[in-house]
Amino acid sequence: MIRFLLGKIVMAFLTVFITTILVTLLIHLVPGDPVRIMYAQSQGSTPEQIEEVRRNLGLDKPIYVQYFMYIEKLFQGDLGYTIRGGQPVIQVIFQRLPNTIMLACAAMIIAIGIGLPIGFFAAYKKGTIWDTFVMIIAIAGISMPHFWLGLILLFFFAVELGWLPVSGSGYMNLILPALTLGLSNAAIIARLTRSSMIDVMQQDFVQTALAKGLPKGLVLRRHVLRAGLVPLITMMGLQFAFMMGGAIVVENIFSWNGVGRMAVEAIFQRDYPIIQGFILTFAVVVVIVSIFLDTIYAFIDPRIRRS
Amino acid sequence: MSEKLKSEELKTKNQSFFIRLLSTPNGFIGLTIVIILILSAGFADFLAPFSPTKMMVGNRFLPPNLEFILGTDEFGRDMVSRILFGSRLTLMIGAIAVGISMTTGIMIGLFAAYKGGWLEILLMRSTDILFSFTETLIALSCVAVLGPSLTNAVIAVGIAGIPFYARTCYSAALVEKSKPYFEASIACGASHSRLVFMHLLPNVLPTMIVISTLGVSTAILAAAGLSFLGLGAQPPLPEWGYMLAGSRDYINRAPWLMTIPGVAIALTVLGFNLLGDGFRTVLDPVERQR
Repeated sequence: MIRFLLGKIVMAFLTVFITTILVTLLIHLVPGDPVRIMYAQSQGSTPEQIEEVRRNLGLDKPIYVQYFMYIEKLFQGDLGYTIRGGQPVIQVIFQRLPNTIMLACAAMIIAIGIGLPIGFFAAYKKGTIWDTFVMIIAIAGISMPHFWLGLILLFFFAVELGWLPVSGSGYMNLILPALTLGLSNAAIIARLTRSSMIDVMQQDFVQTALAKGLPKGLVLRRHVLRAGLVPLITMMGLQFAFMMGGAIVVENIFSWNGVGRMAVEAIFQRDYPIIQGFILTFAVVVVIVSIFLDTIYAFIDPRIRRS
Repeated sequence: MSEKLKSEELKTKNQSFFIRLLSTPNGFIGLTIVIILILSAGFADFLAPFSPTKMMVGNRFLPPNLEFILGTDEFGRDMVSRILFGSRLTLMIGAIAVGISMTTGIMIGLFAAYKGGWLEILLMRSTDILFSFTETLIALSCVAVLGPSLTNAVIAVGIAGIPFYARTCYSAALVEKSKPYFEASIACGASHSRLVFMHLLPNVLPTMIVISTLGVSTAILAAAGLSFLGLGAQPPLPEWGYMLAGSRDYINRAPWLMTIPGVAIALTVLGFNLLGDGFRTVLDPVERQR
């Protein structure tokens, strides 16, 4: 088990390491002079000022020196300063990251709470009209753009019914974005659950249990659900990453003050230090969540726990 | 095996691929939607009653009526025309983005599977890492580098899709590589290019085409998402995602502006998803039994 987890942790470090390289390269891939582009919008910057910014960002040095500078600062918790406002990037990100994580977690709970039972139900009723019905809903749910779902929810609950606020940052404001993100992922989870459960139901040990005459409900709970949930846990890591990605769009619909909204604003303003910080943060969060899930997986799956 | 079963099997074998596809409900509905979409994109010039960018100040915010069947937007532009021309944009976005991801993905996948060794490890590990970043983040990073525009958004979505195609192509190519005929051709002294392009490529292509149908829907969704954020199509392009973004401000006054492009995107994506599902049911016997 320790070997399994060590492998995952090495992979995680590799991911973060490659991200740091990509993030340093990012600014050099920008066509044209990034400093000029960054300052194109603010009027009246003199050539001297532009040179100073270039020096401050370390852009006058060779790329590998820049990389080591970036890493050195990173270990000191320094992600540079925002172009507009000159605030420390890490501070700006940490102010907003809890909001995004809260949104992603709330959405995850909704997605699992709806998707898992529905997928299980469809697998149980496999081949019946119920199964077909659930799968039609699921494929429609997957095809529905979440930004459209967000607008529809906004229209009904905030504008027409007036039950929930249009935008803001309280707990009531969390409901609509979490619902938007959660519902669109519930469809994916329902499909994953269904196929995982069907795989398990066809296996010999389930057939044996049924042939022994055990009640069907017991077999489903003790045999099918347990075995079917294990592969699902590994998929949840990717699902969480999808949630984080989806949050970028959803935060913008509901003006939810998270890192996704910050990133889009930064792209418009060409604020590269924020974008770099955002990508790195995203990678780190996704990596931490997947290690956490892999640990759970290792504890649950006896094949790994006892190896 | 009974006579009846034998004849059944013969029947399925003789039936052409398309007839089998059309006999699955998913494939039939999906293909219908996609054909309608292609027709509306191809004949947008004839079908559209107005120009998609023509502004008629006197006709702002008209709800759906006899002259403007789907109403007009905040500049008095006809929604029917904008949706029709938008379908052309949407199909082009989907095709180009998938073209980028698929050709690059196939090259990486084939190369890694055929070469083996440290190159294989390097290529597939980096693909895995990129895959865990999710397409949204990769696309967003690409737009951050290239700057917001429709072309850049399409390129970004294309790049973001590469890991998925590379992984699928890689595993399909590994399966082919382990088959006896492949070893036989090596033994016969076939050249590298013959092995890769005459043996591996034609055999992974069907799999790739099936997943690319599903990939079109992902690409269309992602590009519409970027346009929705303002990072893709710029005004006055009749791009559906961009149209949706504009509708948020008039959600009270003109709810049809929000409904129509949304339905258009959802139906298009649904069409490609169903078609892809249909393909898979026809081609994959395990899936067919379910």
